[in-house]
Amino acid sequence: MRGESIAVALLKRKGYRILEANARTPFGELDIIARKNNFIIFVEVKTRLSSSLGPPSLAITRAKGMHIIKNALYYLNKHRLNESNWRIDVVAIKLHNARTIESAEIIENAITVDAYDYRGGWVT
Amino acid sequence: MIAKIFSSCVIGINAYEVTVETDITSGLPGFNIVGLPDIAIKESRDRIKSDIKNSDFAFPAKKITINLAPAAVKKEGSSFDLPIALSILASENVLDSSRMTDYIFCGELSLDGKLKPIRGVLPIAIALPEMDKKRLVLPKENVKEAASVRGIEIYGVSSLKEAVDFINGNISIKPSPGNADISLKKNSSYKVDFSDVKGQEHVKRGLEVAAAGSHSILLIGPPGSGKSMLAKRLPTILSDITFEESLETSRIHSVAGLLSPSKGLIGTRPFRSPHHTISYAALVGGGSNPMPGEISLAHNGVLFLDELPEFKRSVLEVLRQPMEEGAITVSRVSETVTYPSKFMLVTAMNPCLCGYFTDPKRECHCTPYQIQRYLSKISGPLLDRIDIHLEVPRLDLDHLTEKRRGEPSSEIRKRVDKARDMQKTRYKHDGIHCNAHLEPKGLEKHCTMTSEAIELLKLAILELGISARAYDKILKVARTIADLDGKDMIEAHHVSEAIGYRSLDRNLWG
Repeated sequence: MRGESIAVALLKRKGYRILEANARTPFGELDIIARKNNFIIFVEVKTRLSSSLGPPSLAITRAKGMHIIKNALYYLNKHRLNESNWRIDVVAIKLHNARTIESAEIIENAITVDAYDYRGGWVT
Repeated sequence: MIAKIFSSCVIGINAYEVTVETDITSGLPGFNIVGLPDIAIKESRDRIKSDIKNSDFAFPAKKITINLAPAAVKKEGSSFDLPIALSILASENVLDSSRMTDYIFCGELSLDGKLKPIRGVLPIAIALPEMDKKRLVLPKENVKEAASVRGIEIYGVSSLKEAVDFINGNISIKPSPGNADISLKKNSSYKVDFSDVKGQEHVKRGLEVAAAGSHSILLIGPPGSGKSMLAKRLPTILSDITFEESLETSRIHSVAGLLSPSKGLIGTRPFRSPHHTISYAALVGGGSNPMPGEISLAHNGVLFLDELPEFKRSVLEVLRQPMEEGAITVSRVSETVTYPSKFMLVTAMNPCLCGYFTDPKRECHCTPYQIQRYLSKISGPLLDRIDIHLEVPRLDLDHLTEKRRGEPSSEIRKRVDKARDMQKTRYKHDGIHCNAHLEPKGLEKHCTMTSEAIELLKLAILELGISARAYDKILKVARTIADLDGKDMIEAHHVSEAIGYRSLDRNLWG
C-alpha cells in the first residue's frame, strides 16, 4: 500500500487525474487508473526494497503484461471507453530501508503489444 | 488517418513497387507490420521508434498498423526503414503524403536517424518508369549507382529529418540526373595489361584466339608458370563492355551488394575467380532467399576456375546447363528467379598431382595411375565444353630477366575486335554471335576448308587418334584462327594451329 500512495502523489504532481485506485475486475486488480491529455492510463506500481534483484521495472514479465492488458480491456469495456486512447504506464519505486524513497519514476507507455505476432502468439 | 508512401523491393534482379500503408488508431499502443515482411523488416520497428524520437519527432502512443502491399509477395531487406518511418509521420500529419505520389523512397536507418546505403538500388532505378514514377529518394551513398539510369530524378538524403524537410519543402535538394556514359567511361580502365607478361608468346596467342571466338579454355602447366597471371589479363583483350552489357552486369552486382557506392556502373568486364572450395549454390546462385552466384557475377566477363580438379565434381557439373543457356534459374520454396550468366570460362590445372609432369627440368613423382586419377576428376561432358587446351610451360631464366615488354593489350584487342566483326556479319541470320556457339549445321555451312586443310585434318584424325567430338572443336577453333587472319576459307596452317590446341585429346597424359 505504501508504494501505491507514493505513486499516486507522484502522478498527481505530474498532472495525472486519478480516476480510481485498486479497481477490481474478474481477472484481478488494476493498481491505479488515471487520465491525462485525453489518454486513459492504467498504472502498474512496482516497489522494490533493494536493488539487488535489479530495477523494479524488470519485475514485469510478459505474462504480467498480458494480465494487465486483460484487466484494462475489461475496464474499458465496462465503462464504454473502447474507442479512447489508452496506454499502460509503470511507476517504479525504489525504497531504502523500507522507509525513505531512493527513487521513483514514471515509465510512460511501458507495456505495448508490439510483439504480438499475427500467427496468434506472443514473441519476444 | 491512413497514409501511403511508395517504395520498392527487389526479387531476383527485378524490382517491383510496394505501397507502405499506415493506419493509426486508438487503442493500446502497439506497432505491427503485415504483408509478409522478413525478419529485417520486422526488426525495423525498434529502429524506427528510436529514429523518430532521435529526429525530434514524437512517436505516436497509439495502435499502428503498417501494411506492405501487395500483401501476398514476400518482402525482404532493410530498405523499408525510411518509407515506414515517413509513412508513420505522414499519418501523424507531420508531413503531407499527398505530395509524394510520384516518389519512391528507399533507405535503411541507424538508431540516430541517419540513413545507411542499401543493396539493389540499380534494379529499382531501372524499374522506375515501369512503376510510373519519376523520382527516387535514396541514401546519399547510393545516388551515384542509381544515376546510371536516364530519364529519372534522384535525390540523395542523409537523414530522416532531411527527408522530412525535403518533402515539406523546407529545404531543396538538387536532383542528380542520369549521367550513365560518364560514369562508364571513367571506370573503364584495367589495372593489368598483357605487356606485364614476359615470354609465353604461344599462350598469349591461344588466349587471343579464345577471346576472338569466345572459346572456353583450359590452361595446363606446372605451379608458378603464370597461369593465373595470364587468365587475369584476358578481360583486357575482350571488346569494351557496352552500356547495355554494363547495365546488366552492374544490376547483378547491385543485388549482390558488390557495387562500389563511389563509382556507379561497372566499366570493365568482370573477372571472377572463386576458390575451389566453393559450394554449388555459391557458384550458380541460391540460398533460401536466392542470391546471384559467381557465374552471374561473371556475366559478360570471365569466370576463372583455378585448380580445376580440386573443385567438387557436383559443383563443376552444375556449370554445364548455364554455359549452354546463358542464364540460370534458381528455384526455391519461397521463389524462383532467373539470373543471366553469359560468361567466358577459363580454367587452369596442373598436369598431375605433384605438378611437374610436363616440366622438362624437374622430375615428376607421380605414378601413371595417380596421373590418370588426377585427370579423371574432370568429367568428359565438362571437358567437352572446353574448346582450347593450352600448355603453359615454366619460363626459363632468359625470358624472366628480359627487359623487353610484351605486346600491350590494346594491340591484341584491335585484332580480336576485327575477328569479332567478321563473325557478327557472318552469323547475322544464324542467331549466334561467335564461333564458339556454332551448331553442327552451322559448322558445315560456315567452315569451308581448302583441300590441303581437309587432307591435314584427315591425317590428324588417323595418326593422332582424335575423336569425333574433338573434330568439331578443331573446326570451330580453326574458323576463329582464319577470322583473325582475315580469311574466308580455312587453310591448312589454321587447322594445324587448331590441332595444337587439343593437347588433352592427343593423349599426352597417362
